[in-house]
Amino acid sequence: MTWNRASIVGAGLIKMGELFDQSYEQMARGAFDAAVASVDNGFDTSDIDAVFVATQRGTLWGQEGIGGNTVPSAIGLNGVACTRIENACPSGSDAFRVGAMAVASGAYDTVLVIGVEKMRDKSSEEGLLARAAGGHPVYTRGESAPVLFAPFATRHMHDFGTTKEMLASVAVKNHHNGCLDPYAHFQYEVTVEQVVEAAPVCSPLGLLDCCPQTDGAAAVILTTPEKARDHTAAPVHVAGFGVATDHPYLHEKSGYVGLTATVEASGRAYEMAGIGPADIDVAEVHDCFTITEILDIEDLGFFEKGKGGIASAEGETSLTGRIPVNPSGGLLAKGHPIGATGIAQLTECWWQLRGQADERQVKVHNGFALQHNVGGRGSGVSVVNVLTTNE
Amino acid sequence: MADRILTPRGLDAELVSVGAAAPALRLAVSAINSAWGRTGGRGQVAACRSDEDTLTLAASAASRALGAAGVGPGSIDGLWWGTSRLPFAEGPSWSTLAASLRLDTSTDGTAIAGSPHSGVDALLAAADAVAAGRVRTALVVASEALRPALGSGHETAAGAGAVALVLRRDGAGARLDSVASRFEPLLDRYRGDDETETRDTYDSRLVREEAFMPLAADVIGALGMHPDTRWSLADPDGRLAKGLSRKLKLGDPVSAAVRTHLGDLGAAAPLAGLVAALGESGPAALLAWGGGRATALGLAVDEPVPGAPEALGDLLAEGMPADYARVLRSRGQLEATGESVEMAIPPGSAMFVRDLREVLGLLGARCVNCGVVNLPPSAHPSCPGCGGDKFDVAELPHHGTVQTFVVNQTMPAPFEAPLPLVVVDLDDGSRVQLQGSDDGSALEVGMPVELVLRRYTIERGVPVYGWKVAT
Repeated sequence: MTWNRASIVGAGLIKMGELFDQSYEQMARGAFDAAVASVDNGFDTSDIDAVFVATQRGTLWGQEGIGGNTVPSAIGLNGVACTRIENACPSGSDAFRVGAMAVASGAYDTVLVIGVEKMRDKSSEEGLLARAAGGHPVYTRGESAPVLFAPFATRHMHDFGTTKEMLASVAVKNHHNGCLDPYAHFQYEVTVEQVVEAAPVCSPLGLLDCCPQTDGAAAVILTTPEKARDHTAAPVHVAGFGVATDHPYLHEKSGYVGLTATVEASGRAYEMAGIGPADIDVAEVHDCFTITEILDIEDLGFFEKGKGGIASAEGETSLTGRIPVNPSGGLLAKGHPIGATGIAQLTECWWQLRGQADERQVKVHNGFALQHNVGGRGSGVSVVNVLTTNE
Repeated sequence: MADRILTPRGLDAELVSVGAAAPALRLAVSAINSAWGRTGGRGQVAACRSDEDTLTLAASAASRALGAAGVGPGSIDGLWWGTSRLPFAEGPSWSTLAASLRLDTSTDGTAIAGSPHSGVDALLAAADAVAAGRVRTALVVASEALRPALGSGHETAAGAGAVALVLRRDGAGARLDSVASRFEPLLDRYRGDDETETRDTYDSRLVREEAFMPLAADVIGALGMHPDTRWSLADPDGRLAKGLSRKLKLGDPVSAAVRTHLGDLGAAAPLAGLVAALGESGPAALLAWGGGRATALGLAVDEPVPGAPEALGDLLAEGMPADYARVLRSRGQLEATGESVEMAIPPGSAMFVRDLREVLGLLGARCVNCGVVNLPPSAHPSCPGCGGDKFDVAELPHHGTVQTFVVNQTMPAPFEAPLPLVVVDLDDGSRVQLQGSDDGSALEVGMPVELVLRRYTIERGVPVYGWKVAT
């Protein structure tokens, strides 16, 4: 039995990219307007009781105080309750979960969950990928973002014979899907050969195995299932969610071929929704690197451990495959504006379940979509949300 | 010239083992000359990678000497360290080295610095403490990694390396049996208090004729060694030793091979040069020079000193050829413009105070309930295996196998790419994640590796040390 105690009535995002011409606040305004405009029967913004803002690091280092109280004023909701949620790469998906719980609790009828991240107000050399300065000053010195995932590629290749070409097939697919998504940062196809031969970034990962640094914002309006009927004939309900943590340092991991937090989080989400992985029609998963998507589709239960590489290479996750994964282009092509990422994924799931995804529309049989992020120090936190059109 | 009083004396201390270390890089003298528009130049000098320095070389040599002596750090009750230039001009140089060697916190000794004579000063101070009975087993380290003034004559000579000795009162090996010293307040190699780089004198012939030759001849003569004595001679410019041995009929110095291979090792030179003589019994002696002092030290090698062949092998190891620009970058003499990435936590902040001894000593905490080791213990009040909260101190082993790894290929300053990061399963079942100490090209899952002390960075003037993975 699905949870269904909160429902999406509107969702939207802005075109992702290097938005040098837009401020953090302007991006937030753009996403909010898009979400409001998407509500089928119109929406009075004064109905919003509370705002949950997902921002990992305001203008990625330097203005960490941004977000929270700065957003309502920027989007014309001055005075409304507002809280900033920070939970690493799953910040957006976790803010959504918190918003859903806030509605389900009865404390609020209608909430706005908005994710905003300004990645490119700092040069790429100072950005997340390159920075390598976090964590323990000695034990994790030099640990840039790919270092959290590339060791899993090394070991997955060693243990299961996964190849660089299999990793590349994830980038090929997601770039293809990105070409069909007008909101995606990248709008070009790549070949397996191009991915394999791209400049090395963090061996065994090359440039096209990595997501870009992207500015972006996305917003979702949540309300009670009862009120949802006033806004739309086709609401999408929150069927379940799960969050799990894991040890923060790489040397504490139980293994290097999967992410425990994702296994735990998805198990909790499936149980809450009363379904299993086979019931999912479409999934937006965390593909910050090609290897991450391969780990995800195994850890989420779509494929047996070790089979994710071959499944990707054989097209089982394409738009017409057994389980379409990242129809939006994923983080690899659509981009990864951290706080906004999860909410942008949820927006794609909302479109897919409502049949509004145009050329990238997948076949929906069971009425379930799954959204997933994993991240933080040592992939120490994962969030999974399951959406459904089923009552 | 004033009258000089020579004081030959017997020293009741035996040299029971030796270890040595050379840095990674080798630079052709012709490459230095070429950079300055000069042609020619023979031979090479050794130079540190950016993560090596006088302290990391000292640590490597010391752990090898301990291994050769077959004693653990717990048996060492005194550490004497000589180097021209300590990594902290003021600060915890000696205690950082001692902590990385896991010496007991009650350990005696000191660091002696300020000239190329410091290595032998450290040896004599240790020998005195052993002879006096103040310490039972002393560890002596002489190391060098200079930062020579660019374009100076000293630049084509300055090398890097380290040697370490274990001394005991009633050991077997080599006996220190005579010593003679003289001084003159003269200027040869020098660095002012506000200067960052070491220069040599402007008149090498003046030093040779008026200082080196007379003082060296004086102390060597005072020692009265047997004609078969094998001499290790300080050789600051690569020519002085040859002239001296010809003049005094000392035979070919045993130090020649190390000098040719690594350059002038300064404070480490006399002892590093002596390593070749410690592998076979017979009389041996060294000449130390620098800071206006000359000291000759005679030894009787009663039986081959453990570790000597391996130490010689380490000193004469091939090394990695490097160009001039790389060596300058490694020494911090060529820096990229722009902001470099600072550590998230500044050295000296509370986190460093909480866990620095754990990091330097590679200490973990072993759960008394389930046996899982966590590190650093100060960051983990709960066992990652079972959540338990009672631990024993675990001295992690320095060997293991590669669980997984990556190689960062693009990194902002002050990092240098390629930069490997390696997850290692240590021999006791614990696991660490550390940087690789080289370019990572040889790394493979499952291969055996060794942990080595390296300098991670210098930030706000503070050198930060930790362990890295060597293939």
